[in-house]
Amino acid sequence: MLKLLHAVLLGLFGAAAVHIAILFLLPTYSERDVWAAMAKEAGPYAFVRLGEGNADPLLAEEQNPFFETAACRFDLENGMVRLTSAERVPFWSFSVYDRDGFNVFNTNDRSATNRELDALVVNAAQLLELRKGVPESLAASLVAQTDVGEGMIVIRVFVPDESWRIIVERFFDGLRCEAL
Amino acid sequence: MLKTVIFVVFVLIIALVGGAGSAWLALESTRSIGSVEIGPWVTFPNQGTRKADPYSRARSRRLGQLSLGQAEGVVLVAAADSDGRPLLRQCTYRIQGELPPTRFFTLHAVDDNRTILSAPARFLSALHSQDLLWRDGQTLGMIVSPHPQPDNWMAIAGTGSMQLVLTLVDTPISTGARVGETSLPVISRVGCDA
Repeated sequence: MLKLLHAVLLGLFGAAAVHIAILFLLPTYSERDVWAAMAKEAGPYAFVRLGEGNADPLLAEEQNPFFETAACRFDLENGMVRLTSAERVPFWSFSVYDRDGFNVFNTNDRSATNRELDALVVNAAQLLELRKGVPESLAASLVAQTDVGEGMIVIRVFVPDESWRIIVERFFDGLRCEAL
Repeated sequence: MLKTVIFVVFVLIIALVGGAGSAWLALESTRSIGSVEIGPWVTFPNQGTRKADPYSRARSRRLGQLSLGQAEGVVLVAAADSDGRPLLRQCTYRIQGELPPTRFFTLHAVDDNRTILSAPARFLSALHSQDLLWRDGQTLGMIVSPHPQPDNWMAIAGTGSMQLVLTLVDTPISTGARVGETSLPVISRVGCDA
């Protein structure tokens, strides 16, 4: 009887260890890596449309039927990133994720001048550089300060109904993600 | 000798099954560590941020999702009605009550794998607030049902369990601590198809 109790106790200790090991190893060994999936699909600074139609099941998943999303990869080592689109849509928002998919910066159209998409993603050093003197062309840009090197930008656009589809498509056609 | 072997195997089985099982349960259930519950609705305020606890981190990496930022919105998921019964696709539900201030919201139905459900014909199992009829006083009232309904109807079809996903876009409640203090609509079951 005592032996059984001993075994159960040992087993429970083991279970706790296994539980913790799984928990901490899972993020490292997870194969569902959005960055890697996007790297297979397109080079850096190129927008990939997420959602239906992607060969990669991870990129094909839709989170919300009313939102169209696109993502681009960047590396701030190559200089700051400028995100622009000429078209105006009912709602847009974007998030900056680090290499591991953690959300490090996010904002929406209410923070932008005239609700137009024109944003700069910078690190601390680049922000200092900007403060010294903003070029005329970047004066109206929204500045997103992050502490990442490599990362991803995901932009989400609300499509209230099908009649907006053409305008939203034009927004994505005009979407640029470029290193300055 | 044999006794020792049985002892070791027994301990190992408890450790592996118990450890893996509890980890799976903690990550798979909608209500879990790091979640905030408001009635039937469950949200993970820190999911996908660097503030997330190890459970949320493991969960978001397992889903491989890039979660919404605070300025973008809050995602609330309900897997049960307000009485605690699991949501079923063959049932009719009334969703009624107050919503926190939000620029707009969307509601859609998903299956257990988080795949968006579709209803027959041209109907989507989805609604957004700019598409709704609003009664006096601006209280939200919607019906989720496999049968056509007057006013605000979200069509569903088929049988089996489902989850309702409510996304509040650009809402001040997303700023951390206040999530738990808001009131959200009640989901009440009206009836079910036999």
